[in-house]
Amino acid sequence: MAFFFQELVNGVTTGALYALIALGFSMVYGVLKLLNFAHGDLYMVGAYIGFFVIQFFGGAAHVSIPVPLLLVIMFVLAAGLVGGLGVAIERFAYRPLRNAPRIAPLITAIGISFFLENSALLLFGAQYRIYNTSEFISFSSGIRIGSVSIDSVQIMVLVLGAALMIGLRMLVNRTKLGKQMRAVAGDREAAEMLGINVNFIIAATFFLGSALAGVAGVMAGLLFNQVTNTIGFIAGLKAFTAAVVGGIGSLPGAMLGGLLIGIAESFVTGYISSTFTNLIVFGLLIAVMLVRPSGLLGRVQLQKV
Amino acid sequence: MKGRLVIVAAALGSLAVAGCSSSGNNSSSSASAGSGSTSSASTKACTTSIGFEGPITGPVASLGDEQLHFAELAVSMDNAANHTKISLVQGDTQLQPAQAVTVTQQFTSNAGIVGVVGPAGSQEVEAVGSLMARAGMAFISGSATAVALTSGSYSTFFRVVSKDSVQGPQDANYIINNLHPKALMIVDDQEAYSTGLVSAMLPIFQAAGIKVDHESVSQKVTDFSSLVAKITPAESVVVLPWQIAANAQQFGRDIAQEHKSAVIFGTDGLFDPGTFTINGSYVSSFGPDITAIPADASIAQAAQAKYGSFGTFGPPVFAATHVIDEAIASVCKAGQTPSRSNVLAAIKQTNESTSILGQPISFDSHGDLVNGKFFLFKINSTGKYQLIPS
Repeated sequence: MAFFFQELVNGVTTGALYALIALGFSMVYGVLKLLNFAHGDLYMVGAYIGFFVIQFFGGAAHVSIPVPLLLVIMFVLAAGLVGGLGVAIERFAYRPLRNAPRIAPLITAIGISFFLENSALLLFGAQYRIYNTSEFISFSSGIRIGSVSIDSVQIMVLVLGAALMIGLRMLVNRTKLGKQMRAVAGDREAAEMLGINVNFIIAATFFLGSALAGVAGVMAGLLFNQVTNTIGFIAGLKAFTAAVVGGIGSLPGAMLGGLLIGIAESFVTGYISSTFTNLIVFGLLIAVMLVRPSGLLGRVQLQKV
Repeated sequence: MKGRLVIVAAALGSLAVAGCSSSGNNSSSSASAGSGSTSSASTKACTTSIGFEGPITGPVASLGDEQLHFAELAVSMDNAANHTKISLVQGDTQLQPAQAVTVTQQFTSNAGIVGVVGPAGSQEVEAVGSLMARAGMAFISGSATAVALTSGSYSTFFRVVSKDSVQGPQDANYIINNLHPKALMIVDDQEAYSTGLVSAMLPIFQAAGIKVDHESVSQKVTDFSSLVAKITPAESVVVLPWQIAANAQQFGRDIAQEHKSAVIFGTDGLFDPGTFTINGSYVSSFGPDITAIPADASIAQAAQAKYGSFGTFGPPVFAATHVIDEAIASVCKAGQTPSRSNVLAAIKQTNESTSILGQPISFDSHGDLVNGKFFLFKINSTGKYQLIPS
């Protein structure tokens, strides 16, 4: 039973990361119907920002400020800067193509992904940057119940991830900005006719989605200890899958999809074999899509003919 | 219309010229550094190019960078010592077989290239071996260790490192005789290098009566918590024949985080003192720590001054480049113009009594290093690699 709970904790933690990235993916798709393949690379940029904040304050072994303050700075800076980067990408790469055929922004998104990946290579080099989280956050500061270990970084990821998801849901459902986002997602032209500043709403959506990716990047750095310019690819792929399985455009769906993939990976690795993890997990996802093509919580798109 | 045709024709012409003259970034060497090279050729017109294939970008770019730096260093030092004008043409393979094929096609279609250093990965050698053989191009890898590569299929392939049939059994026997596990976990990273080593080790473990849990994760995976949770108390050793040291470091942290006590045993791909520092772990290496070899002091200092710290992936590439450089110098010394065929013939005759790797270099008829060996290190509590005497 302890093994079951250990795998569950591991799966939920990884799933929370996937969910955070998938949320941004789904938000952008919701308002623009754009598959933003550069989203995983924004996560990579966030992870680098977290790393350089640690270095700025003396490095992992000699942090010169209280650790909680360091973490706040890491998360806030990553969210702000990556959010700003997302807005810039939208403004200069996607907005000019807003009325172009849908394939054009898709290709642009792939181009932006390569641009970010290779820019990071040029700026930061090819070597792995190591967070060394254990130097400033001790494993022993976590919880141990029997043989189940939940370290403090996992707890932080789970708590912060849940808080961000709840906060985003409240923002979308209970604020004026959220209402405007939903209006733009529903019908952009109608929203514009009603006086909504569509450009601002799209930029705000990009900011929020990218900021979540930035936060997820810092979380991944703290959890997995390493950053390199290519980490965004696989994370982006998993997040895209999570968003599609949950129902692309649906925020609860993105959260559910991310958690399901994380937990499924963990249990397949633990109970069957890591050799077959992707085979079985993606096999299950194909089965889900066959049964519910619009995703678990996605809505069937009706087309008037 | 006519004007447009002229422009198109001019553009195509310039592309053709560019394609013939170069297929990558040329890093011409400056004759500034000296070395302990043996020959001094009368090489007035000894001007030619060699190709370099390595993962300059991509997930293992840190290794590729180091290999490129040592190739450049070797060319620079050998040019100074031999009075040659060899230039290095870079080709980025990203450790991807398909990319390696593209680079190889560029190299083989460039008549100016007479030999190639690399590629780095066994899977890449498998992809390009036939192309190289068809072009009569000698290629020497400084890190491809899969056994099958020298089974006779690739007639122009050489390597300056030992093969997995040396490393796998050597490591497996060390684990059995010195770590005495009743059970162990072995995790391949789904690449030819890794699966080849697992194939070499598994029968030895099984013959010794050790219960083996064979797992497999992609190189792109960075979350090992679920896999580490699976390690049983009886599994006192985890064998990681991997190529990304940062992943092994994370695996070690997950072991500590989940309060497991298994010892990591890594193969040569994990030899990276700057990254993999888990206390009590073992790492084997096809190359020695050249900073501990007095004869290599000048090379180590030059590399450190120019490129910073390095691991064990660079020095074998230096050795491989040096072999080609010396072959070219010997061809020029004999009054011939370097070509693929005479450079290949000269490489086959290589007989260096000593090398940067601290051992002689000569090749058997299949291109394997004669009397090659692996070195074993243990990581101490400060992260320092300590050589275990053989």
